Amino acid sequence: MYKILEKKELAMNEIMYKVHAPHIAKKVQPGQFVIMRAFENGERIPLTPVTWDREEGWITLITFIRGRTTLRMNMELNEGDYILNIAGPLGNPAPMKKFGKILAVGLITGIVEVFPIARAWQELGNEVITLHVSPNPMVLLREEFESAVSKHIVEGFDLKEGWGMDEITQEIVKRAAKKVKELIEEEKPDFVFTVGPAGGQKMIFNIVKEYGIPMESDLHPIMVDGTGMCGACRVHVGGEVKFACIDGPGFDAYKVDWDELIHRSGFYSDKEKLALEVYLKKLQAQGGAQ
Amino acid sequence: MMARKLIRETIPTPEQDPKERIFNFNEVNLGYTFELAQKEAERCLQCPYDYAPCIKGCPVHIDIPGFIKKLREYREDPDKAVKEALRVIWACNTLPATTGRVCPQEDQCEMNCVMGKVGDKINIGKLERFVADYAREKGIDDELLSEIVPKIERKSQKVAIIGAGPAGLTAAGELAKMGYKVTIFEALHEAGGGVMYGIPEFRLPKAVVKKELETLRRLGVEIKTDHIVGRTVTLEELLEEYDAVFIGSGAGTPRFINAPGVNLNGIYSANEFLTRVNLMRAYKFPEYETPIKVGKKAIVIGAGNTAMDAARTARRLGAEVIVAYRRGEEDVSAREEEVEHAKEEGVKFEFFLNPVEFIGDENGRVKAVRFEKMKPLEERDSRGKRKIVGTGEYVTLEADTVVIAIGKTANKLIASTPGLEVNKGVIKVDENLMTSIEGVFAGGDAIRGEATVILAMGDGRKAAKAIHEYLTKKRDENA
Ligand SMILES: Cc1cc2nc3c(=O)[nH]c(=O)nc-3n(C[C@H](O)[C@H](O)[C@H](O)COP(=O)(O)OP(=O)(O)OC[C@H]3O[C@@H](n4cnc5c(N)ncnc54)[C@H](O)[C@@H]3O)c2cc1C
Ligand SMILES: Cc1cc2nc3c(=O)[nH]c(=O)nc-3n(C[C@H](O)[C@H](O)[C@H](O)COP(=O)(O)OP(=O)(O)OC[C@H]3O[C@@H](n4cnc5c(N)ncnc54)[C@H](O)[C@@H]3O)c2cc1C
Ligand code: SF4
Ligand code: SF4
Ligand code: FES
Repeated sequence: MYKILEKKELAMNEIMYKVHAPHIAKKVQPGQFVIMRAFENGERIPLTPVTWDREEGWITLITFIRGRTTLRMNMELNEGDYILNIAGPLGNPAPMKKFGKILAVGLITGIVEVFPIARAWQELGNEVITLHVSPNPMVLLREEFESAVSKHIVEGFDLKEGWGMDEITQEIVKRAAKKVKELIEEEKPDFVFTVGPAGGQKMIFNIVKEYGIPMESDLHPIMVDGTGMCGACRVHVGGEVKFACIDGPGFDAYKVDWDELIHRSGFYSDKEKLALEVYLKKLQAQGGAQ
Repeated sequence: MMARKLIRETIPTPEQDPKERIFNFNEVNLGYTFELAQKEAERCLQCPYDYAPCIKGCPVHIDIPGFIKKLREYREDPDKAVKEALRVIWACNTLPATTGRVCPQEDQCEMNCVMGKVGDKINIGKLERFVADYAREKGIDDELLSEIVPKIERKSQKVAIIGAGPAGLTAAGELAKMGYKVTIFEALHEAGGGVMYGIPEFRLPKAVVKKELETLRRLGVEIKTDHIVGRTVTLEELLEEYDAVFIGSGAGTPRFINAPGVNLNGIYSANEFLTRVNLMRAYKFPEYETPIKVGKKAIVIGAGNTAMDAARTARRLGAEVIVAYRRGEEDVSAREEEVEHAKEEGVKFEFFLNPVEFIGDENGRVKAVRFEKMKPLEERDSRGKRKIVGTGEYVTLEADTVVIAIGKTANKLIASTPGLEVNKGVIKVDENLMTSIEGVFAGGDAIRGEATVILAMGDGRKAAKAIHEYLTKKRDENA
């Protein structure tokens, strides 16, 4: 059981939990993640420690409210409450090398995962440019980035009436592609790194590959255990089956089977929708969102 | 002594009707009542300890005639009978409710039972299970524990155990009884290993396993869940803090088939499929939040226990199920009872089919599997199985769900520890189960590849003894 020391809405639907988890805080490296289970009947989901304090034994997690688990966490967990399980740190740390000039891109909440990595790269002597593509109300960590890297660019846009997640994602993909192209032309990076929905990462890759710049992406397939035991997170990389949780999550973007990854991430979407609806009904029955 | 009457026929245990049970996850075999257990116990010939072939067949050498004798001796006092029987069993096995249910008895304790020569063999597994179940229901196990725990002489030396499966749990229990301070590091959020995430509720109710875990906690064993050795803490770090380490991390990584389309949606490893259903309770979705997707037609590839469990689970989730195996019926490695149960539940079997391609629809979901037909040769391989070869003929079977149950290899996280010698994915050990690193022992699936619960437990016991000797020597040297 891991106590929530602080909870804050950093931007629209972007919730930060500062959690006492000394076993993670002691070990975590940029690029690694955790798998947590908040409730007895809950799902295990992967999240990323964004900041941490090894002495004080806490980590921060930032969730974007997108489905049943993330919504339920926001509704039912407050400061002083406990998260049942946090296992980790999982996955391999991001490669800590001198690449030269790095363009690191985060799409919507993907930016929170970019943060610890980009900061560490900058500290190592790289020149790091970060790009955050997001609807304006969901922009977050702006100051933190500005003081951590050489240049932080926010490509924001306003939300239109009636837009759902699909429309938002389309807009993000469109804008990310355009902006990345511009930045490659202007800044001539030696290395590109991305985190975000697979569709968006694929679009960025299609542009980067025209310039032949080395690129690595953090992949987000669906995970269950995160320890290499189930194979849910498998994806073809360079023609071989790899498990994102133990072989990744970072992979050479040139070798990833992007279409397979996109298909696999969407396999449960009908079930996820159902789970969310059931939960929303329950909230309504209880008299709405408290 | 009066000559006993020979009762040739075994007393069967009641079972849930197949027509009903494919709609639920409740336990299939309902076990003996005290009266029925008495009747079955009556049949045992009470072979002498040194001769009894049943004891020789049990990997942990439970005194089987001994515990059966207790059941008969205290016939008039069921509670006493069970307590004394449990005392005998516990001397060798602290998880009898589990092993009584899942051991391949036909290849072990029951294989050479003398009664088999004149009639049915004694149903040892079901008797063992009866003792454990009755004790649990009546709190007799707690009573027995209260007698044992105060007698433990606590020692100052500490042992770390990696993995809370049958191997690790048994080693932990034995070491705790000897008075060592034992901490188990378990990657998942629940202890139990394969018996928790793998074996389904309808075969081994999770409440049974949880109670057996409670016994260990009462012996003073600490279980740290959410701790992945190799990530949260390394083996080297454990060696700094603990006087010895036991690795019982299982054969955790599923093998996939190297064929086109293996990553299509709807294709699961048995581990994923069963973990979703057992550990995460996806069969209760959406009340439990982890989803699983099973369509109308499922194909399970493989023919071990894992394959049977996957097939029977898919059946309960509403699919028509075919088990496809590349060898013949005689090479099926699953327990007899599981194969029988699967057949009763309407699972179909297809032999000599080797998958060569998974075919998907436009959404990336599997829709069929193409197999090559195989044929057996007279020649046998090192395990005594007939070799098989392709015939060049192919057959395609429709399926919207495929479960691959062709085995597992060791978990990479531990196998890649520097200095730890590994051979073909399993950890190398000497005759005392010590690995290539001094003070580090290993057992169970981690050293055997996929094996059985009771073999893992046997290793756990053996390693506990070896660790005790090792630590005694170390203490004497330091004194
Ligand atoms: C390595 C890694 C790090 C991540 N870090 C973060 C983070 O720091 N912050 C954050 O908000 N999100 C992060 N995610 C994504 C996060 O896991 C999903 O947002 C979360 O699972 C959504 O759960 P839900 O029930 O709210 O939504 P759902 O409605 O269940 O799912 C919405 C979408 O989330 C994804 N998803 C669902 N279940 C899982 C699962 N078990 N494993 C992986 N993806 C899943 C799917 O693509 C799905 O379509 C990370 C994912 C991975 C793989
Ligand atoms: C579906 C299925 C059905 C089966 N049916 C039967 C049956 O009927 N009869 C039978 O006898 N056997 C059966 N088996 C086999 C039996 O479950 C195993 O042989 C037995 O569980 C092995 O025990 P173990 O302790 O060696 O490993 P496991 O039970 O695999 O336990 C290993 C534990 O270690 C943990 N772990 C792994 N890596 C790490 C790490 N790095 N750090 C911390 N913890 C770690 C795992 O999470 C797990 O809990 C079945 C197995 C499965 C999967
Ligand atoms: S532990 Fe297994 S093999 Fe031994 S007596 Fe019990 S059921 Fe038989
Ligand atoms: S071999 Fe059979 S008859 Fe003999 S003691 Fe064992 S169970 Fe009884
Ligand atoms: S999440 Fe199970 S193997 Fe990666």
